[in-house]
Amino acid sequence: MKKYTKEMKSHLINWSMVNSQWSMNRSLIILMSCLCLMSCVPKKERLPVFGQREFNGKDTVYHTIAPFQFVDQDSALINNAIFKDKIYVADFFFTSCRTICPIMKTQMLRVYEATQEMPDVLLLSHSIDPEYDTVALLHDFANRLGVESKRWHFVTGVKDSIFKIAQTSYFATAMEDKSEPDGRIHSGAFLLIDKQGRIRGKYDGTKEEDVNRLIADIKKLRNE
Amino acid sequence: MNRWLAIAISIVVFSSCSVKSAKYQQYYAQGQVLYEKNCSNCHQKNGKGLGLVYPPLAASDYFEKNFNVSLCLMKYGKQAEIIVNGKNFNKPMPGVPSLTELEIAEIATYINNSWGSQNGIVEISQVTSALNECGIK
Repeated sequence: MKKYTKEMKSHLINWSMVNSQWSMNRSLIILMSCLCLMSCVPKKERLPVFGQREFNGKDTVYHTIAPFQFVDQDSALINNAIFKDKIYVADFFFTSCRTICPIMKTQMLRVYEATQEMPDVLLLSHSIDPEYDTVALLHDFANRLGVESKRWHFVTGVKDSIFKIAQTSYFATAMEDKSEPDGRIHSGAFLLIDKQGRIRGKYDGTKEEDVNRLIADIKKLRNE
Repeated sequence: MNRWLAIAISIVVFSSCSVKSAKYQQYYAQGQVLYEKNCSNCHQKNGKGLGLVYPPLAASDYFEKNFNVSLCLMKYGKQAEIIVNGKNFNKPMPGVPSLTELEIAEIATYINNSWGSQNGIVEISQVTSALNECGIK
């Protein structure tokens, strides 16, 4: 009987040990999750802002897209005001291009479809062959892609203004080059612009994985 | 006696098949490389084209019905409007003038046997006569 009680006692002690071990484990788990959460926080942080920044004595001034004015496939005037309080994705292409543009348009169509339910997200494709890509031609092109003009603007305008805004505002390559088969060169970049007109991401519009990243970044930017 | 005949026939059939198949495989493989270099930007790797901008080559009635014309337009391009599977396409297609008759046969063999189609090899002689026919050569 005495022996039995002793065993009982030791049994009890064992249990309490287990209990304390469990509570230790629990605190460890909580501690670990805290650490995890903390280390996750920087990743959840905001997307970078591209370009030079200056301090004007009071605030940091970021690089923004310069004022522009083009005409889209519906002959509508397209300027910065259209993109006020909107997130947008910009690129440079031309309809008769046979190199990278068709791939870019396939990928931009994916962005268009992924942002269907996002009224604050627009797309802006600039033609870098504006003499050939007239309003009528862009209208036909957009129709043939089956996209809505109020969400995806295809713009044409003065050639030099388009080249200039590509190079100085969007940091994208776009110029004439007679040695190229299509007579011009341009980058396949997609630029993500935030509601303040700042560049927040640059993606290779010919690569599916890069465009997946863009689609994920659009969601992040909307949550900022 | 009959059994020997059957075996003999199968050997003949089998060997002729494998000879044909080596050439076919070479055409198909080379055709795929050329397709991805010259055609897939617009017509896409899966041959489905893009909207009403670039017509499909996969399950395309135009390619089947206008086979010789299709061989020609790889080299010389096409300006006029065409109807593919009942839909109208109007963007000009630039040709690839540097393509040789062998290369056109290889691309056509690839298209002919991809995306669910199995229409066999396209011979160089077929390309030669198609190019003569379209009158540009």
